Amino acid sequence: MENPNLAEYLPIALMFIFALGFVVTTMIATHVLGPKRKSKIKLDTFECGIESKGNARIPFNIKYFLVAILFVLFDVEVIFMYPWAVNFKSLHWEGFIQMTVFISLLLVGFFYILKKGALKWEE
Amino acid sequence: MTLNLFYFLSFLAVLSALMVVFSKNPVYSVLYLIITFFTIAGHYILLDAQFLAVVHVIVYAGAIMVLFLYVIMLLNLNRESEPHKSNILKFAAVICAGLLLVVLVGSLKGTEAIVQQSGKAGIGYVKTLGEVMFKEFLLPFEITSILLLAAMVGAVMLGKSEKTNDTI
Amino acid sequence: MNALFVICGLGIISLIAEIANFRKWLISIIVLGLLGAAALVVADWNTAVAYYHDMLVFDNFSLAFTGLIIGSSLLWFWTASDFFEALFHKTDKSALILFAIAGGVLMTSFNNMAMLFLGIEILSISLYVLAGSRKEDLGSNEAAFKYFLMGSFATGFLLFGITLVYGATGTFQINTIANYVLTHAGELPSFFYAGALLMLIGLAFKISAVPFHFWAPDVYEGSPTAVTGFMSTVVKIAAIASFFKIFATCFSTIAPVWYTILLVIMVLTLVIANITAVYQNSVKRMLAYSSVGHVGYILLAFLADHKESDGTIFFYLAAYAVSSLAAFGALILVGGKEENTLVERFNGLFKRNPIVAVGLTIALLSLAGIPPLPGFFGKYLVFAMAINNGMIPYVIVAIVTSLIGVYYYFRVIIAMYFKDAVAEPLKVSTSKEVLIVVLILITLALGIFPDFLIQLL
Repeated sequence: MENPNLAEYLPIALMFIFALGFVVTTMIATHVLGPKRKSKIKLDTFECGIESKGNARIPFNIKYFLVAILFVLFDVEVIFMYPWAVNFKSLHWEGFIQMTVFISLLLVGFFYILKKGALKWEE
Repeated sequence: MTLNLFYFLSFLAVLSALMVVFSKNPVYSVLYLIITFFTIAGHYILLDAQFLAVVHVIVYAGAIMVLFLYVIMLLNLNRESEPHKSNILKFAAVICAGLLLVVLVGSLKGTEAIVQQSGKAGIGYVKTLGEVMFKEFLLPFEITSILLLAAMVGAVMLGKSEKTNDTI
Repeated sequence: MNALFVICGLGIISLIAEIANFRKWLISIIVLGLLGAAALVVADWNTAVAYYHDMLVFDNFSLAFTGLIIGSSLLWFWTASDFFEALFHKTDKSALILFAIAGGVLMTSFNNMAMLFLGIEILSISLYVLAGSRKEDLGSNEAAFKYFLMGSFATGFLLFGITLVYGATGTFQINTIANYVLTHAGELPSFFYAGALLMLIGLAFKISAVPFHFWAPDVYEGSPTAVTGFMSTVVKIAAIASFFKIFATCFSTIAPVWYTILLVIMVLTLVIANITAVYQNSVKRMLAYSSVGHVGYILLAFLADHKESDGTIFFYLAAYAVSSLAAFGALILVGGKEENTLVERFNGLFKRNPIVAVGLTIALLSLAGIPPLPGFFGKYLVFAMAINNGMIPYVIVAIVTSLIGVYYYFRVIIAMYFKDAVAEPLKVSTSKEVLIVVLILITLALGIFPDFLIQLL
């Protein structure tokens, strides 16, 4: 195993530790500090003051999923741009053209999605 | 230090991967899977592949896990609708998976540490990656756009209801 | 190479057609474009150029298989013209089909594992969706889902195999790997072999060899008949080409490792697929099992002499593709809107529509391997090759299974000629009648002049 300079990651590790630590501390603190009243009404699910009905696990609209999956695809597209952006100067115009081809192909896909109305909600 | 970290991450990765399989509640499985992804990202960092680690967190732990949760919510999990699998089937599955494990462990054990064929410094840096991607692996990069397009068209075709504008 | 760009471009044009509203002439443009791509393949013949840092190599092997893929897709577009009728999904379907073809071309011409993986993924993802394109039909949904789950699992095996091979050799280029294996014989780590075997599993799934065939009958039966026709021709050609390429070049020197395994797979494929086909009531499902069975014969040729079998495999696949297209073309016509393909539906087909009946008969006879049809020459070449390499027991198994094949193909033929018709005469458009005549002519031409294709490679 290569030995990357792990000390460089110390700030990131610290950030993670603090973020995690904050969440854990607040959760424990609320448990310890908060008053505890356990009656049936207190433990009920709160739904805008209206009595809750049925189960939260209802199958929901496929449109959410469609939007999410399209998001992932464009997310992956964006990932490809980081290595390009870092090397932007050394790749010159050649790299620019290569990226333009890539992006414009996906742009065709984007306009296709719009035209198909996949992002329209009210249909 | 590195070795200890490696053992810690591996332990965590294997443990949470096992929890993915053993959790009864599919939502918990997904959450454990997120932990697995984070530990694997840690492994990438240990291997000096920072970009891969970050991408792994953004795409897998971020976006794809959301999709997983959506899929679980799309399924109707109110009832115990999981079909009962026969014991013979389970037995066969255990044997097959066990054999695969034996083969993999056997083939990886006794192998000396792999020679660092590509042990150049900074192999995992974004800069190096970009240079490789836009020179040697240019064609795969461009073809990836076709793959993404196919996935896009497929998603729209399956996900979009066709009742409304069949009249165009 | 340019053929690949043309095909990808046609896929993009399909999407632009949706954006810019010119769906009407789309299919004609695609067919013209594919003809152009075929011309480009012919123009590239005997050049063997490597492109983009050896990512793709278009030697005569790749060009021949690319040509076969393009040719079958052209005929497929003709047989499946009804598939594109629904206006709302016209552009989706054509784009996906074209992307799948592009993936198939990549699978025949890759010289780098990354390209192989991309090709397989593009092909598979398009097909998962196409298999489920009859959205209101539960069988189609099942087919898509099953195909997706099993397919991604197999891709996982393949990817893991590629990783291990890369770890052992340090390269993705298949000819570099072959050289590395040759020069480092005996000192390869054992996980290299594990990687090769995992790749074998992944690719055996893609060519649907027994015991990795379980998805095939369900997927073939559930998918729209047109898509099934596409799967059993274009997809099969691409999968077998990539299988051949990997194992005849990359892993050729470690043949002892995979030889016995592949031998078992081959015998199982021949026996199980052909015997199960006998028990099928749906013609579509029977053709699915028969397409699995044909993989067995191809594997027999491959095992006989994996370096020299490319010409034989090419001819076998060409013969199989033409017959298969004719069979599925007839199936689309007989099945009708509800895609009912039970054997009873073929009762008295000869009286209902003689042209379709004769076309289907010739296709089935060719698939069964009756002389003088091309299926016979394909089998003959395979058997001759196997006998020359001392595989007589396996040839006997193959002959017995092809006799079983004759039995189940004749069940349909008997139903067409000797049972009473249950429905009115089958009306078929002129274009489809011309198509069937053309397919019959191609089949007969391949049967009468097999030398042309055999000597190509």
